[in-house]
Amino acid sequence: MNFNPCLKHKTVRKTVSKFVETELGPIAHEIDQNARFPVEVVEKMRALNFFGLQVPRKYGGAEMDSISYAIVIEEISRVCAAMGLCITVHNSVGTNPIAQFGTKEQKEKFLPPLASGEIIGAFCLTEANAGSDAGGVETTAVEDGDDYVINGTKIFVTNGGICGSALIFAITDSENQRSTSSVLIAEKNTPGFFVGEIEDLCGMRANPVSSLFFEDCRVPKSNLLGRKGDGLKIGLSTLDSGRIGIAAQALGIAQAAFDDALKYSKERQQFKKPLSNFQTIQNYLADMATEIDAARLLLYRACVFKDSGKAFGAEAAMAKLYCSTLASRVTGLAVQIHGGYGYSKEYDVERYFRDAKVTEIYEGTSEVQRMVIARSLLSKPT
Amino acid sequence: MKKKAQTAKVKDIWVFGDYRNYFQTRVTLQLLSRAGDLAAKTGASVCAVIFGHNLDEYVSEYIAHGAHKVYVIEHNSLKKYSMEIYISLMERLAREYEPDIILVGATTFGREFAPRIAKRLGTGLTADCVGLDIDDQGILVQTAPAFGGNLLAEIITPEKRPQMATVRPGMFQEIPHDYERKGEVIKLPLPKDLPKERLRIVQYQRKPHRGQRIEEADVVVCGGRGMGGKNRFKKLFELARLLGGEVGATRPVVYSDWADPELLVGQAGKHINPDVLFSFGVSGAIQHTAAIRDAGLIIAVNKNPNATMMKKADVAIVADTNQLCMALIKELKKRIRS
Amino acid sequence: MLKLIVCIKQVPMVSELNWDPRTGTLKRDLAEGMMNPACHHALEAALRLKDLHGGHITAITMGPPMAEEVLREAMAIGADRCILLTDKRLAGADTFMTSFILARAIEKECSNFDIILCGCHTSDSETAQVGPQLAEELKIPGAAYVEWLELKENILRMKRLSDNFLETMEMDLPGLVTVTTSHYQPRYVPLSGIQDAYDKCDIITLDADDLKLNIIGTKDSPTRILKVYSPCSEKKNIEMKGPAKKIAEELLDKFGRKIGGAIKKDLKAYEQEK
Repeated sequence: MNFNPCLKHKTVRKTVSKFVETELGPIAHEIDQNARFPVEVVEKMRALNFFGLQVPRKYGGAEMDSISYAIVIEEISRVCAAMGLCITVHNSVGTNPIAQFGTKEQKEKFLPPLASGEIIGAFCLTEANAGSDAGGVETTAVEDGDDYVINGTKIFVTNGGICGSALIFAITDSENQRSTSSVLIAEKNTPGFFVGEIEDLCGMRANPVSSLFFEDCRVPKSNLLGRKGDGLKIGLSTLDSGRIGIAAQALGIAQAAFDDALKYSKERQQFKKPLSNFQTIQNYLADMATEIDAARLLLYRACVFKDSGKAFGAEAAMAKLYCSTLASRVTGLAVQIHGGYGYSKEYDVERYFRDAKVTEIYEGTSEVQRMVIARSLLSKPT
Repeated sequence: MKKKAQTAKVKDIWVFGDYRNYFQTRVTLQLLSRAGDLAAKTGASVCAVIFGHNLDEYVSEYIAHGAHKVYVIEHNSLKKYSMEIYISLMERLAREYEPDIILVGATTFGREFAPRIAKRLGTGLTADCVGLDIDDQGILVQTAPAFGGNLLAEIITPEKRPQMATVRPGMFQEIPHDYERKGEVIKLPLPKDLPKERLRIVQYQRKPHRGQRIEEADVVVCGGRGMGGKNRFKKLFELARLLGGEVGATRPVVYSDWADPELLVGQAGKHINPDVLFSFGVSGAIQHTAAIRDAGLIIAVNKNPNATMMKKADVAIVADTNQLCMALIKELKKRIRS
Repeated sequence: MLKLIVCIKQVPMVSELNWDPRTGTLKRDLAEGMMNPACHHALEAALRLKDLHGGHITAITMGPPMAEEVLREAMAIGADRCILLTDKRLAGADTFMTSFILARAIEKECSNFDIILCGCHTSDSETAQVGPQLAEELKIPGAAYVEWLELKENILRMKRLSDNFLETMEMDLPGLVTVTTSHYQPRYVPLSGIQDAYDKCDIITLDADDLKLNIIGTKDSPTRILKVYSPCSEKKNIEMKGPAKKIAEELLDKFGRKIGGAIKKDLKAYEQEK
């Protein structure tokens, strides 16, 4: 077991790091303050394969391994978590399901524009009455001739304000609600597809999270992903992969907070000594560093399992659970170490603190992650 | 040149006459002065070497500033610096007269000229020295910076001769001129068998002096992200104007479009060496501090006493950057008027 | 076909460094490496020549085995072939020796070149000497600190600012240029390029025996490092606090003479008049 990153992973990390520090670094504060999605940076990211990280080469993607993927998301999130969110949601839940479950025609039609970033993708599951309870979804997709007609409202859709296509999780058989849901690909310019107002959120503010309304929105039957009734299967599989991305995102936020706290503790002096001389602060730093390392190893294990074709759902859930809990804890400590300055927007730590919290909530709350892990533990033969 | 260092006696110390920016760049005179100190320790002669056209004025300046001898090759065709020809000439002279040490100013020209000479003569060269000394074995101890000045190295060329170094302008003081000093002028003819030039200068003009460049300014006022905004940053121009200085900016400022990219002071921008540097709202990232390491008095102003820049400054002022900028402008106006 | 060679150096990424006080050389393997910024610009200049005229780029570097990383990076943005010169015996070579070794490798692997591009200097040793010395070693014309270049009918036209002089030059090929960081902003590396560079491409690795060289870097270099040390920067670091008006007055009182130097005024004078 080699714990050292290979040269390729080092290069990926340095390359992405250089790009985001140059392009996103100077504006990260401003776009969070103004809740502005930085279109100008997105344009530059497109040419560098940020939008097709794991899409096969023949469709214009970079076909990266999962650890490389995690590194990309971590590095983007270290500088600007809102953009890390955009990229990981687009890749893991907005694009990869098509690569995994799509027909040849669907892949040829949808993957190239998604991989090139010409179209940004989104995944619509959550509704007003269906958060953790995915089975409580009420959006319907009714067969009518060669189309499905979609009616319903999806809320808290990441990338909602700028997506060009979205994967809709809808009920396709209304007689037996709990068991027949399906996933449909809907394109933005389809009549009946409406984008709601951008949410005003605590963190991830540069990401245009919004509701999407579907009023008699007709999509061709050829846009059904997988088979009718595969909704739950596709949804759960997608979320397993998505968890790796969110774990990486949370890890990036934690790393940023830790780096800032470490630097600050060496510079700030009180009682004529740098903060880092005090044992309490040293304990904080030691704990933070240890947990971040542990989180990274958990994440990469999930990545390796996924790439080798093993079942990785529980491992991905552990990674997501641990990384997101860690992000909240580390960012909170980082603010504490910065003292009063940490509470001011002059420093970046308060943004990390605000950004971290949601990683414990979306793509499966920490409570749901525990359910997944427990189920896996209890289903194993003793 | 494979002569071993025989005794402690150093025969000749040569200084290359880089004269084309004579009034701004006094490095040849500075090197003549230092060569004089080293020569005094070892009984050597200080010789200037100059190639070009219409050189009498420079020759007498060199003698007045410490040269015992000046080797001159003067010709119409040498009106502008020609790298390949100058290298040929220097090589021939060095092989014939076998100096023990050759010093070249670390101008842009010198930093390309000297390594090529060193290669031809098969000897060692230390770049951009900030210190030169000579030990009793006649070995030139050359102190040169590395890693943006974060490290200094002492380097010697123990066996090969001549020992060569390029020296940073401004490291040594020229001696006051003495036009009564006598020196030997050795005029040599331009050889007829020079190689055909494979590198030719097609156009050559002195850069129009659009006011002073920031790299030459004695006072620089740098502003960083802590200034808070474009209009606030603009106030620094007034402060700089009052002090006869220039304005510099850090990377976040240029990226936020508060200042032109030409004002960037940093590893990817300009390196400055003012006598006085004001640093307003600058955090002190490595890429910036590497470019200001040669500044004299550094006055940093920041709301945050813990910014890295505050630790690197001689005077660290904890204050609101805008308030202090305006207070300084006001106070300066009062004093200058009086 | 246009044949370009780019000499690249991997330099340490941080300014906090570890060096071996015995040999005065850097413990390079302890710091993360990156492509020297000026070399990156040289590579970009080569890529633009290739974009315009077509051709082939060979990237070459001399260093420890981890220097492979900068070659992979070069390939990821468009270099066609990469050569790594690595041998423990060559470590500690000065610029004279380095240019000698590079020249032998070029003669062996890509002697039929048109232009060699190098960075004007490195961010670690900052000598700016390898480029010019390499040109001498190969007996080709060279121009350093070039800011802009253009190829027309086998003549390279270049522009640079040299000591306050704007020079436009022409060079017969084959020749060498060193490129500054003022132009040729390096393009970003696409992620698919990184994948290809690692998975699909081979690097030619050469050691001293392959080049038939019997050299010890530290011993055979004409220059020798006696010692390396940190300059003591003793900044007295006076802190000033309080209302802005009062600080401004105090500052000009204390340092008025120094600050006023440029405008030839003694800014302390006001105090005396008061």
